[in-house]
Amino acid sequence: MSRIEATVYEVMAAAIARELRDNELWFLGMSTGPQTILMLTRIPIVAMNLAQHAHAPNSWMLVAGWVMNPDVSKVPTRMESEFGTTLGEWPCEAYNNSLTMSYIAARHEIDVGFGSAAQVDKYGNCNTVAIGDYARPRVRLVGPINQPGHFSLFGREIVIIPHEKRNFVDRVDFVSGAGYLDGPGSRERLGLQRGGPCMLLTDKAVFRFDSESRMAVLASVHPGIEVEEVIACTGYTHDYVPQSVAVTPSPTPEELRLIREVIDPSGAMLPVRAV
Amino acid sequence: MNEPTVKLRSLAEAASLIKDGSRIHLGGMAVHNHPMAFVYELLRQGTKDLTVVSHVSASDVDILIGAGRVKRLEFSYVGLEEFGTAPCFRRAVQSGEIELSEYSEPVAFERFACSARGMPFFTTREMIGTDLPRVNPDIKEITDPFGSGVYHAVSAAEPEWVIIHAPAGDKYGNILFFPHRQLPEDLDLTASRTTRNLIVTVEQIVAHERVKQLPYLNLIPRFRTTAIVEVPYGAHPFSCLHVYDQDREHLAAYAQAGRDAASFRRYLDEYVYGVTSHDDYLDIIGAARLARLRQVGGAL
Repeated sequence: MSRIEATVYEVMAAAIARELRDNELWFLGMSTGPQTILMLTRIPIVAMNLAQHAHAPNSWMLVAGWVMNPDVSKVPTRMESEFGTTLGEWPCEAYNNSLTMSYIAARHEIDVGFGSAAQVDKYGNCNTVAIGDYARPRVRLVGPINQPGHFSLFGREIVIIPHEKRNFVDRVDFVSGAGYLDGPGSRERLGLQRGGPCMLLTDKAVFRFDSESRMAVLASVHPGIEVEEVIACTGYTHDYVPQSVAVTPSPTPEELRLIREVIDPSGAMLPVRAV
Repeated sequence: MNEPTVKLRSLAEAASLIKDGSRIHLGGMAVHNHPMAFVYELLRQGTKDLTVVSHVSASDVDILIGAGRVKRLEFSYVGLEEFGTAPCFRRAVQSGEIELSEYSEPVAFERFACSARGMPFFTTREMIGTDLPRVNPDIKEITDPFGSGVYHAVSAAEPEWVIIHAPAGDKYGNILFFPHRQLPEDLDLTASRTTRNLIVTVEQIVAHERVKQLPYLNLIPRFRTTAIVEVPYGAHPFSCLHVYDQDREHLAAYAQAGRDAASFRRYLDEYVYGVTSHDDYLDIIGAARLARLRQVGGAL
């Protein structure tokens, strides 16, 4: 195949796919606003399909919580709404249409979820509720939706946000998704024995959470992105840049082929690729 | 057999059942199946001081908030998905105009299931670690008497009135659904079992004989129904799943209009207060546009 460089969206999808294992249940919800829908919905859908093709054939994905294992290559249009004809016409293996879908999560059967937020702090706590004081917020956001359960009931959470300074704060104004809360031991004290964020992915970099300090650490920058550029648009004040920062691996030629020829041949999921 | 009570009502008659200060649930979820014709009629009738108990709401609740009719909101989400945030909700909360009681989404759903089961409360652990219990005094701590630890107790939804929009029904109040349903319809069915004060707006009234041919699609038997109202395109600008799609242009225009008080007022005047009936509303939207939203064979 021709040597066309991977787009940032393909880099992100491949990075997510490598986080996903076989024999897992993955849960993808829906989001608000076109930018978030690209970051939080369409990229993970491609990533989950990529993982299933590449190494995780026995995994099971719940898209919007109810469309199970959709074949996105057959999707005629971009997914924009959680229910309705667009999603309802996708070929898939099964539906879960009743509100008992929540019980799968309550039973701790979901291994991986995907989340986003207006703010994510150094301990991976997320905020989709309010910026500023809760009672009289500067900006009121949509509400907690399903985020609390993503961080308390799921095995691990992949947080995906646009890389803008204001999204990275030392402490979120409101915890709607409990990351590592106030640091080491916080989750355990509340009886949260498992779960929490495992990866913070942006359009520029990957952060992970240090196993001791529980704070976000810059793990890699995407190909073509300088560390200085990441620092310039990251609002954290703790020391999150290690001595050496890796480059996020580009998709392999085989991963690129799967994305472009098998999973998303019409480009319905990922934006038009840079050629 | 004597004829059963005919429960077919006009939109105005049905909306007048809701008194100021009522605790109501408006059906539908996200951008689907909200009983919008009914909401517009509530607005025209001046109904106010409402407590809305919901789960995943959109401009059904946002427009009531924008018009100053909502005193208290129990919810998980108010937004417009691909069309962005709910403008009036955002403005009202930022200026402290409404009382909020918020929950995670599955908990907000389960409050209705709890009412449908006849139970006063249920327990959950999914909001542990969040700030929701800190700001919501209705989320209370409870210890498992069997020894497994501390939980949050959440009360049942207990709406006084439930208003949903459905595909079809007969004049006695039997409500037919399509065989293939999605979560919005499933949530509406659950909500329909939480009260005996149930108003259902439908796309079309069908003959009672039709119901008897399709009893397996009659998922709300008439003993539950207080009033049934025929309002074609009654969920516009939202979809009525399998019948018509969302009016994307209109929802985008709503999101834009809601951004400031003056343009929101113009929206209300154009589509609600300046409209005398639902038929009048449909004329304003236009037959050509509505026809293009249809999904022929959508339920097949």
